[in-house]
Amino acid sequence: MRTWLVSFARRGPARYLSHLDTLRAVQRTFARAGVELELSQGMRPKPRLSLPLPLPVGAAADDELALARVTDAAPSARDGLLALQAASPGGLDVIALRESPLRARPQPLRARYACEVRGDAGAVAAAVGAFEEGEPPRVVRRGPKGTKTVDLRRSAGAVSCRATPGGAHLEFEVRYDAGTAARPQEVIEVIADKAGIEPVLHRLRRVEVVFAEAARAQHAPTQRSATT
Amino acid sequence: MGGEFNLRRKPGIRPRIVLSYPDAYEVGISNPGLQILYELVNDRTPAAAERAYCPLPDMADLMRARGVRLWSLESAEPVAACDLWGFTLPHELACTNVLEMLDLAGVPLHAAERGEGDPIVMGGGPAVADPWPLAAFFDAFFIGEVEGRMAAIVEALGAQTRAERLANLAAVPGVWLPHAAQAGPVERQVFTDFACTPPVERPLVPLVEAVHDRVVIEVMRGCTAGCRFCQAGIWYRPVRERPVDMVVAAAERALAATGYDEVSLVSLSSCDYSGIDEAVRRIRALRPGIRVSLPSLRIDSAATSLAGLAAEQRGSVTLAPEAATQELRERLNKRVDEAQFDEAVRAVFSGGFTGLKLYFMIGLPGESDDDVVGIAAMAAAAARRAKEIARGRARLSVSVSSYVPKPHTPFELEPFAGEATLRRRQALLREAMPRHVRLSLHHLESSLVEATLARGGPGADRLVEDAWRRGARFDSWTEHFDEAAWRGAAAAAGLALGDPAGEGAPWGETGSMAPWHAIVDARVTPAFLEEERRRAAERATTADCRDGVCVSCGVCGAGVEMEVLA
Ligand code: SF4
Repeated sequence: MRTWLVSFARRGPARYLSHLDTLRAVQRTFARAGVELELSQGMRPKPRLSLPLPLPVGAAADDELALARVTDAAPSARDGLLALQAASPGGLDVIALRESPLRARPQPLRARYACEVRGDAGAVAAAVGAFEEGEPPRVVRRGPKGTKTVDLRRSAGAVSCRATPGGAHLEFEVRYDAGTAARPQEVIEVIADKAGIEPVLHRLRRVEVVFAEAARAQHAPTQRSATT
Repeated sequence: MGGEFNLRRKPGIRPRIVLSYPDAYEVGISNPGLQILYELVNDRTPAAAERAYCPLPDMADLMRARGVRLWSLESAEPVAACDLWGFTLPHELACTNVLEMLDLAGVPLHAAERGEGDPIVMGGGPAVADPWPLAAFFDAFFIGEVEGRMAAIVEALGAQTRAERLANLAAVPGVWLPHAAQAGPVERQVFTDFACTPPVERPLVPLVEAVHDRVVIEVMRGCTAGCRFCQAGIWYRPVRERPVDMVVAAAERALAATGYDEVSLVSLSSCDYSGIDEAVRRIRALRPGIRVSLPSLRIDSAATSLAGLAAEQRGSVTLAPEAATQELRERLNKRVDEAQFDEAVRAVFSGGFTGLKLYFMIGLPGESDDDVVGIAAMAAAAARRAKEIARGRARLSVSVSSYVPKPHTPFELEPFAGEATLRRRQALLREAMPRHVRLSLHHLESSLVEATLARGGPGADRLVEDAWRRGARFDSWTEHFDEAAWRGAAAAAGLALGDPAGEGAPWGETGSMAPWHAIVDARVTPAFLEEERRRAAERATTADCRDGVCVSCGVCGAGVEMEVLA
């Protein structure tokens, strides 16, 4: 059994896919590419494929990671990359592939998000200032297991803000190794609320995800297509 | 959504044709008819085919509030700017969605109001067996199977002006222009090259979960079993079968192109396909783990068909006796008896299947209350078998819909059972059905709308428009069905919901020529329909012509003939 770490981007209408739909689309890409995935054990075997950090619905992404266990019959990483690129649907672009000795799912450490908002850039900048200082921004999540209060500043500390024509460009990092992580849309909603503007989630983009060292270490050279 | 696997993009190409299925994306993406046209236009004509589906009410409301026009999924360009907007019309309950889509696209609702810059709006599919309920909204209808005429339609769109394009279309066999003088009924087109044309091999595969997530291979077109209530049995005559080699090769290519691991061999009655056993065996042998499913089983051959299914496919099975008593089945020309039904039920439960669903209709011509109570008795007998053989491990459910007489069938002039009778019979069923059998009854009010429109005449389009203006859309979705809109529109037209709409209705009582026959020649002769209606009354069954004896329905001849594998 071999492990492939596949980097891909999610753009266009594909950004409206749920986590499960994205997983299914990646799985189908493997099937179309003729690359066989290992199956899990048990009554209902499932292909061994995972996306370690689910993307919010509506968010585009520049560099996502899929971890796939492929059978020994799978092609080389180079040929595998070409086959996956030819088989992927528009909107899910396979960028790179590397073989890895990893057995466990890599743990995300942090991810960087970018977002465009429309409205008065000065008001947005002031809202960002209020987000970073003063009373900690908190959200209350209600779920089947009760309510949970999340301190957004603890996992999404610094937010950069720059004026753009008609609005502002926000960028921030979310940490996943410091307790319950902030959801990017929560950060934007809080800032938008403070600025008195509408949160525009369709412009949300995950720029980068950084995984724990184990994910990056000991991997074979990355196959990256010349065009991406 | 869009962005599917196997999506075709042909930017800047004219003519630009937008294909629509008037329902939500999740339903429409699985429609095999649209997949056929999409592949045909994009891959075998110089035109570009794009798609648009009907936005769900919340999205539609948002689009209106923000002034966003309906766009096509391939190019994100406005649908209103295309050359031809083709609708696949599946059934009567999609009528208001057509208006909804025209309105969202900013295309004038009435064909008479459209001008040079507007697309030609064309309808096809099974619901054009009677185009009257939509006549005002379409520039053209295509009657029958369009595959053989697509190239001519594309060519017709090359003319300079809208008037010339419409005149060209009028010359294409099968096209009816409701707003031009055209002599005589239009003959239903039969795709005579069906058997030598491969099925869809590169279907669109949605990225979201759809109604059917599997490769669909049409192995056969047409069914001549001769069920007298069935419109599709008339509409797709005669039977044409694709060679097994073609079916297997297409399945192999489609599996590779889609990434699916299940193939559904579809037709109106796939168990009748002469090459079924060989096709199932060879497709399963293509690679390990490939599953083959058949959408429907015949009761008289169910045991054999079920035995051919793989162990991992032993899920739920549907059998359709349609009617519970021998007398009523004979009227319908369903040639199955109780012993065959019992054998099929035993095969289901002893074969390790986890569920059995029985499908029936109520409101059939000649039906009595005893026939309806008989459904419960039949279900009880099946439940006993389930207990005896499967020992509680299998579920039994019964699904009952209300019969609506359809044009071009032997029952086309039979009266609709009506609301009061259907309501009473539904109550009878609820009472008689054993408690441990799951009973699902089809939404009665939508059947009433279906009955009102199925045999609509001139003027029925006014009722559709009025209902839509009162808020009706997504009429086949129970959660969106707007009963008040339909009742209000019917009352304004002086009708009770369930009565046929249009001037001169009801046709059966006056004996006047039914208005759909003035437009559509379905190729079956009036004499055949009449004879079948008479035989139904006498409980006389009629043989399937594929078993050797032509019953002179009138379809074959002039290049159209049955093509069954040797
Ligand atoms: S004309 Fe005869 S052979 Fe042809 S479909 Fe009708 S009954 Fe069958």
